[in-house]
Amino acid sequence: MNKNIKHEGRRIKSGIHFILGNYAVVEGALAAGCNYFAGYPITPANEISELMSKRLPEVGGIFVQGEDELFSIYSVISASLAGAKSMTATASAGFNYMQEGIGYASAVEVPCVIIDVQRCRGENFATQADVMQMRWGASGDYESIVLAPSSAQELFDFTILAFNLAEEFRNPVIVMSETTIALMRERVEIPEKESIEIYKRMYTSLTPEEYLPFKAKNNSPPEFAPMGKGYHTLYTLNYRNEDGTMDWDAQGYKKLYQRITGKISENKDKICITESYFLNDADAVIIAYGSEVRPALDAIEMARNDGLKIGMLKLITVWPIHENLIKEIAKNIRRIFVVEMNIGKYAKEIERLCLPFCPVTNITKNMGIIHTKEEIYAAIKEAW
Amino acid sequence: MKPLSVRIGGFGGQGIILTAIILGTAAVKKGNLYAVQTQSYGSEARGGECQAELIISDKPINSPTTEYKDIFVALFQSALDKYLITLKKKGTLIVDPKLVTKIPSIEANIYQVPATETAIKLGNRIAANMVVLGFLQKFIKMISKEDLREVITSMVPKKFIDINLKAFDAGVHFAEDLEITMEDIG
Repeated sequence: MNKNIKHEGRRIKSGIHFILGNYAVVEGALAAGCNYFAGYPITPANEISELMSKRLPEVGGIFVQGEDELFSIYSVISASLAGAKSMTATASAGFNYMQEGIGYASAVEVPCVIIDVQRCRGENFATQADVMQMRWGASGDYESIVLAPSSAQELFDFTILAFNLAEEFRNPVIVMSETTIALMRERVEIPEKESIEIYKRMYTSLTPEEYLPFKAKNNSPPEFAPMGKGYHTLYTLNYRNEDGTMDWDAQGYKKLYQRITGKISENKDKICITESYFLNDADAVIIAYGSEVRPALDAIEMARNDGLKIGMLKLITVWPIHENLIKEIAKNIRRIFVVEMNIGKYAKEIERLCLPFCPVTNITKNMGIIHTKEEIYAAIKEAW
Repeated sequence: MKPLSVRIGGFGGQGIILTAIILGTAAVKKGNLYAVQTQSYGSEARGGECQAELIISDKPINSPTTEYKDIFVALFQSALDKYLITLKKKGTLIVDPKLVTKIPSIEANIYQVPATETAIKLGNRIAANMVVLGFLQKFIKMISKEDLREVITSMVPKKFIDINLKAFDAGVHFAEDLEITMEDIG
């Protein structure tokens, strides 16, 4: 891969653009160093494949249109094990099919990026209905890292972040896109190459004889060994010991999954990213993620103009959930509002954390279209 | 500046979304402004319902759509019938009289631009959207004619650049004698 080094200059299109959210994903992936993409057609994610098929060969990468979602996710996993930075993109119905691969990648600790452009069942309308599936859609024990962009710019930024987190924690990272932002054209500023931070994969310094593929510190991923250099690792979904052999060991199983989940849940300070708006004097706080952040911010402006002191916690990292921060906020305010575009799923998670401290009001819309600021503000006033 | 919201509605194949993209591109890349463009359309290549929305602002834009538009361009009767309700009171309505014949009496500034007729005279009816764009430019002061001409040149296929620019200029000409203030827009 990357034989066409002369084309590397086309990788990062620094400057100001007016582009589709789906295109911003592609530019973000390329800026992060993505050099393998496989996907199976599905709206509203198709523009990602379309531009990838043009852009990846330009920079010496490989684009494959898979025969289905299973091929796509497993080939992305394989490419990553071979040393590539790899990604796939799909939409809700296709995301279902990929769960098996996501479970496998989580269990054998393979960095890769999955874009799920959420859509309503069978229709291209906007929704955030997959938010719980993104956490634990596959069988078995694992923790997901899920990022929720709210704009074309953030689709660019968070796709880069997704690649970096995937490498750092040797875990699949899901970018939770939505019809709303994926099919929206917006201003996107692509920075100069020098100011884009890229996490480079580290390889073991041990020899093949010394190397134990699944030996790692507590709550940390193991070191990678380079493929094709004499290190033999069986990447099996089954329980395996630190040396990669497959003898069942109940204590070892417990320890393995403590580490695989612990590397995410015990590193929340690094992984959980949020943005705060007007929290200092807030009597009530909106918690929102993805595109719903946008009308929520406008609703806050309306509320503040009327003297209602309301703030917002915007979740960039949706999973793992930033439990401590959310609890702390709930202790000091009168009410929490959860704004989301589904039947009210993430709100239940917020209730779990906040109900001992303050009431939680759910502002949901499940009609294939984003909230208007007026709708959110009306719901705030009703509960105030 | 106050954010400006525009809706263009018609049927697939009229270049409705392209018109919105050209405006947005000029706003962002030439005017260093913010723009958000969304759309909805049927699965047909030509003939299905199609509409595009665009918001332009000098500040980042939160809500990606607005309930009421400052400007509504209707390029087909069914689009007018469906979306007229989303035009602001005293907003600006631009129609192609060949394709929109029934306009209810409303409180709006109504302009009839013979876009299709002009484009046919220039040699290709498909350039009607550029006539509309040239006319629309008069109402969107933060984007210059020159910027739009440059963006058109960079975005349409080479062999159609000439007719598109001619159509654009014809639209600019139709709007030449209009005196537009921001109050007129809505």
